[in-house]
Amino acid sequence: MPSQIDLAARNKALDIIKNSMRSLVEQISRGEKPILVIPKRTLANTIYDLRKKMLLLGPEIQHRSFTDVNEAKKFMQTLLMASIIFDALRNNEYPTIRDLYYRGKHSISYKTIDGKHVSENTWEEQRESDGVIRDLEVYLSVLREDLLILSKEKGKVVGNLVIRSGDDTIDLSKMGHGAYAIEPTPDLIEFVDVDAEYILVVEKDAVFQQLHRYGFWRKYKAILVTSAGQPDRATRRFVRRLSDEYKLPVYILADSDPYGYYIYSVFKTGSITLSYESERLATPSAKFIGVMMTDIFGDSVFRKIIKDKDARKTLEEIAPGVSELKPKNPYLSESERSNFVIKAKTKDLERAVELVGYKVADVCIEDKDVKNKIKKKEGLTGYPWFSTPEWTRELCIFFNTLSKLEIEAMASKGLKFLADKYIPEKLSIGDWID
Amino acid sequence: MSELKEVYRAVSPAEFFYKYREIAGFANPARAIYQTIRELVENALDATDVHGIPPDVKITIRKADETQDFYQVTVEDNGIGIPPNIVPNAFGKVLFSSKYVLRQSRGMYGLGVKMVVLYAQMTTGRPVEVITSKSGYKRIYYFKLRIDVNKNEPVVIEAGSWRKTRDWHGTIVSVTIEGDWSRAKSRVLEYLHRTAIVLPYANIVMLTPENEIVYYPRIVNTMPRPPVETRPHPQGTDLEFLNSLVKNTDFKTIEELLIHSFQSMGEVTAKQILQVAGINPERKPSELSDNELLSLINAMKTYDKYKPPSSRALSPLGEEIIKAGLRRAFNPEYVDAVSRRPSAYSGHPFVVEVGIAYGGNTPIGEDKPIVLRYANKIPLLYDEATDVITEVVKEDISWDNYMISFPSPLVILVHVCSTKIPFKGVGKESIADIPELRKEIKLGIMEVTRGLKQYLSKKVKEEEARRKAEAVAKYIPEVARSLAVILADENELNTLRKEIISKLTTIVAKKTGVSLDLIHGIVKSIEAEA
Repeated sequence: MPSQIDLAARNKALDIIKNSMRSLVEQISRGEKPILVIPKRTLANTIYDLRKKMLLLGPEIQHRSFTDVNEAKKFMQTLLMASIIFDALRNNEYPTIRDLYYRGKHSISYKTIDGKHVSENTWEEQRESDGVIRDLEVYLSVLREDLLILSKEKGKVVGNLVIRSGDDTIDLSKMGHGAYAIEPTPDLIEFVDVDAEYILVVEKDAVFQQLHRYGFWRKYKAILVTSAGQPDRATRRFVRRLSDEYKLPVYILADSDPYGYYIYSVFKTGSITLSYESERLATPSAKFIGVMMTDIFGDSVFRKIIKDKDARKTLEEIAPGVSELKPKNPYLSESERSNFVIKAKTKDLERAVELVGYKVADVCIEDKDVKNKIKKKEGLTGYPWFSTPEWTRELCIFFNTLSKLEIEAMASKGLKFLADKYIPEKLSIGDWID
Repeated sequence: MSELKEVYRAVSPAEFFYKYREIAGFANPARAIYQTIRELVENALDATDVHGIPPDVKITIRKADETQDFYQVTVEDNGIGIPPNIVPNAFGKVLFSSKYVLRQSRGMYGLGVKMVVLYAQMTTGRPVEVITSKSGYKRIYYFKLRIDVNKNEPVVIEAGSWRKTRDWHGTIVSVTIEGDWSRAKSRVLEYLHRTAIVLPYANIVMLTPENEIVYYPRIVNTMPRPPVETRPHPQGTDLEFLNSLVKNTDFKTIEELLIHSFQSMGEVTAKQILQVAGINPERKPSELSDNELLSLINAMKTYDKYKPPSSRALSPLGEEIIKAGLRRAFNPEYVDAVSRRPSAYSGHPFVVEVGIAYGGNTPIGEDKPIVLRYANKIPLLYDEATDVITEVVKEDISWDNYMISFPSPLVILVHVCSTKIPFKGVGKESIADIPELRKEIKLGIMEVTRGLKQYLSKKVKEEEARRKAEAVAKYIPEVARSLAVILADENELNTLRKEIISKLTTIVAKKTGVSLDLIHGIVKSIEAEA
């Protein structure tokens, strides 16, 4: 028997689908061609909202008309998906996106005008039906979680937090060595009681477990969350809600490499492919606490680079104030660095160029061969939210040293160091990037 | 010139043919039977449609001997008939016409039928039988005759007459020849088929030796305008004609003779021409010397201020008749025809008519259209490769530009009518490349083909519209089902679904401009499979 909150969510979703479909049927019965008005989910229509500090869908709208030959199939697919989801909602089911793919996949057989018998599938691959789900989310302006669609989730949380999930009340401070797995429908969670000063999101599950066993969250009054890699929707929504509802600051601890930086960016501003979800999933106030390049190398490398007038000028143009940042000392010694640091791969370099643009790479990379490897990325200007003095300095050091470092390395220096020095010290002196 | 006349005098025309029968189309027994049928049928047609009578032509081919390959060919028409006193010469003497007027007809001076009579005489020795009567005659006349080859004279073997019980008019000619029917048959059938295409106003029946009946009934009641006899155009004449004219005239002066014997020839023109030729207009025609006649004919041919020759002597088929014939023959998807305006070459008026048939049962042209050639309503079956019509079709028309790519079910019919068809050689099966004619043929083909192009491009557009409709219509049931699932209770679901299907069908039909039925069909086919 579904919980009350579950049933209420179902009824709400059923109404949303019904209402929008009713207007389509009204169009049809007036003899008008039915049109789905959908915000465009294209890269070109993804904009970075400077005020809200997140990636959002732009103002562009597409009119998906059933009578348009190029749109007819997508129109049919969108309605087919709506009907399957509607059916699942009504029958108290929790389909996954894979279930929806299978439920909607069937062949339409017809006789062509030449009298040939032809058969085509409603959709072929799951990629196609997944796209239709995204279209439907945008069209109905609801998230799939609101439609009770489940996806595989991997986020975990522990801390001084009591929640109600379904009909149960769960105390997240009493999870033993385990943790609470964030449910796929975080909007159905009710926060009952919170006693914490901030939320620490750790990219790596292993580091999360180490900090958990060390008692970090209890000692420092933190809610400890891990996304176990690229954050899924539920984890992002959970963090966002908790931060919003209890005004808790959010700190992200990720690897010191372009992938780690991007994970932070997804938490903070949203992802490019799912920008329509940012309003509900992104946490614009999230801060990157580490691991920073300056935590590893300090800022001497960077200061050496900007001694060159041209380099300094170029970098100042990209991120004004970059040459006047506060000086910083490394947390690692020379020998620790040589032990823990990993050499960056071409893919890391390319990703980094995507983040801050080609010019920073051009100024900061010394090795000519390496420069040639990323030549094809010339012209890229980077994402606006990475064009800050802090990130410019971080990525410049990355380009110059061609090094990256995993959080685990910080733990290897000593869990005590990570838990009792590195994190608390950075928090207390405000050594983060916003 | 005088040497040429020597040749004609030394050998009788009958004897000449007797020796050179291949020239007239009697080269072998198969060709002979085909040629015989042609000559008799064309005479029959000349006796009917030329005189405004809708033709009824009956052809009977019968095995006439048990052991030898003798066939009796009988052709009956409902034409004007032949006066009995003319019959012996008309069938028994190879002669030139004594008329000095021209009009479009199939045969020239009835030469062909005498060759048939001679060929019958040569191969089976049997005489020609003729039964004829004109409208208004009280009797029907009967003749059995042969030709005295050396004297070029008819020999009447039997003659008689009987009372007419009804107002029958026409001619029945029957000859017995040696032939190879089995080898000729397909060619004869093709000849009749092609003849029927341009003669949809005729009833044509053929009874074969196998007792098969081939019947092309009359399908239109309109007839081509009959040709009007006209005087020849001075540019289209020759010395032979002029010679004959001056010898047989009653006119006192050459000027009068010219004015009254030719079209486009008034007093001023006649005087100017005679001045160029250095001949006194008052001269008596019969007293002109051969050299003077030669100067005169040259002056007539080089004078360049004539009006063009009159086309009244021509009898074009007309667009409707060509279209009717093509429709019957091929049941085509697209058919059209054009009658070009009259034109002229060397003083001879001519009209080019072009028909086009596409699709349906139209035969497939592998690398060019199937070409049906006609000269004065006679189908041309042989020597296609050397014909100017074939050359135009192959060389002068860029078929690609007309959205036609081969192989294609495309027939081009070209009919050239003229008081003098410029045949290539003596076989009368292929038309020579005369620039004026070639141009008209080209323009005619281009004109009808443009129409086909428009039709094809419209068809492509309609096809596109149908494809578009199909691309949308196939999703109607799924869309309707989805909406109904969301908006209707279980017991109303089917009603709503059907209602949405019906509405969407109308919307899609309206949007694409395609018929409701077509969209219904696609939707139904899905419903049936589901």
